[in-house]
Amino acid sequence: MTPIIRVHHLHKHFRLTRNRHGLLGAVRGLIAPEYRTVRAVDGISFDLARGELVGYLGPNGAGKSTTIKMLAGLLVPTSGEIVVNGHVPWRERQAYVARIGAVFGQRTTLWWDLPVSESLDLLQHIYKIPAQQFQRNLDEFRQLLGLDAFINTPVRALSLGQRMRADLCAALLHDPDLLFLDEPTIGLDVVAKERIRQFIQHVNRVRGTTVILTTHDLSDVEKLCERVMIIDHGRLLYDGKLEFLREKFGGKRQLVVDFAENYSDAPVDGAEIAGRDGNRVTYEFERRVIAASELIGRLSSQYRINDLEVREPDIESTIRRIYEEKLLENASDAAN
Amino acid sequence: MRHGLMLYFRLVGVQIRSQMQYRIPFLVEMASTGLITFASFATLALVFQRFEHIAGWNLGEVAFLYGMVETSFGVMDMLFSGFDPQNFGRQTRLGRFDQLMLRPVNLTVQVLGSEFILRRLGRIAQGTLVLVIALNWVDIHWTLAKLCYLPFVFIGQICFFGGLFIIGATISFWTLESIEFMNVFTYGGTEMMSYPATIYQDWLRKFFTYILPAVFINYYPALFILDKPDPFHMPAFASYLAPAAGFGVLAAALAFWRFGIQHYQSTGT
Repeated sequence: MTPIIRVHHLHKHFRLTRNRHGLLGAVRGLIAPEYRTVRAVDGISFDLARGELVGYLGPNGAGKSTTIKMLAGLLVPTSGEIVVNGHVPWRERQAYVARIGAVFGQRTTLWWDLPVSESLDLLQHIYKIPAQQFQRNLDEFRQLLGLDAFINTPVRALSLGQRMRADLCAALLHDPDLLFLDEPTIGLDVVAKERIRQFIQHVNRVRGTTVILTTHDLSDVEKLCERVMIIDHGRLLYDGKLEFLREKFGGKRQLVVDFAENYSDAPVDGAEIAGRDGNRVTYEFERRVIAASELIGRLSSQYRINDLEVREPDIESTIRRIYEEKLLENASDAAN
Repeated sequence: MRHGLMLYFRLVGVQIRSQMQYRIPFLVEMASTGLITFASFATLALVFQRFEHIAGWNLGEVAFLYGMVETSFGVMDMLFSGFDPQNFGRQTRLGRFDQLMLRPVNLTVQVLGSEFILRRLGRIAQGTLVLVIALNWVDIHWTLAKLCYLPFVFIGQICFFGGLFIIGATISFWTLESIEFMNVFTYGGTEMMSYPATIYQDWLRKFFTYILPAVFINYYPALFILDKPDPFHMPAFASYLAPAAGFGVLAAALAFWRFGIQHYQSTGT
């Protein structure tokens, strides 16, 4: 099957004017402006198959939103190729955007002064959605997103979470093949986040919509994405399974053990003691060196144990390590 | 095309309904706009008490110039609110234009439908009132040609001002800082067109004749309708140029607008 997105050697360079100080500087800037080039996206290639749900991660200024804007047809690349859903996004804008949906973080696509329901009606006409399809989708999303509580409220009066739900509904009424989500859970509380995650998962699994998700919230990624792409300084550092990333760069796992008695020291082969608190001892061990079951076996043969718990390194610290220690810079070719 | 038109009316209809939700503030604001703009005509009338004529034009004749421009500018300001440069520039910085680009509808239609400020009716009413007063004061020799031509003058003026709005909105893709510069042409233009062209310095008049063809939009049609001689001895067809000049400015503005969108797509904001 042909991929829904094919990106090949994508570049986007911006030319910024350098500001000079003082009046003289301003005049010189006007006559002979001095430019510097920023390589926001610097040679990115990837394919995305239909039905994938991929997380696109990176620190601020890494080139994330520039990539998304190019994929959505809002920006023209400096060089390189993008084919999405059979279209070159910026060249055939109207035909292309009719088949995609997008929710860009804090910005609503809805009409500020209109009740949600009227905004959705307008979208039916904008996308020329047949009445039956519109009604069927609306019924489904109303139920899944719990829109009924505020469907007659003007958009300006909605809470952030409600607005995000309404925007998600708005982005999907026309059954897009591809959905761009930029920070869909930013600023929301835990319950609202969970609801939105479940909805995204439903859309991807049940409706088969391909989803590209950019987020700062790594729990979004952990819950939703099998595949992640990590970008920094305009380059793709990693593109592959989240699980592999964790295994390879995840750092140490922890085993927290509550012993039945107070051992003055409780050494075990393959793990180090990272902390102790009364009868509770925390061991650190590496996946590559020893499996958790093996470690537990060794401990229980030497000591009396009441309770224990394995803690996985969280993805957040994993990714932070990747940025900070530039772990992937040499490994990126291998990961592709 | 048909889809675009239908959608335009739908978008405008929605704007009107939501603006009518707050009836009292709406009416108050409309009335106050009408009164404030009328005050500038009242000032003009006071000046005429002292001088009676300005460059050979009496109060009624100047009122005709003023009423025409006020009415057509008001109509334009209502129809082209979405292109109002300052507002458009601000909205674009907030990512609003990106949202429009994500919808499968012509962008010009969407911008036109994004804002429709109904309370501009206040200014339109004021302009129409002054125009009615003018028609009362001045004894116009109405002919069929004049009657037929008048609506085209209006349309030409609306296109002319609309074009200036579109040019201003397009400039805001590049910069927000110098956008006030455009006001010199839009608001300055209406002001300038409210008076007979003879009162201006030669260079200014030439600018508004050959660079930005504002004199053909109001002054020359007025010469024709009021049967006044042309002090600048232009060819006779100068009086009939209003629609052509208006359409010309609008067409140039739309071409610039398309260029601006391309620029926006290559740089973002």
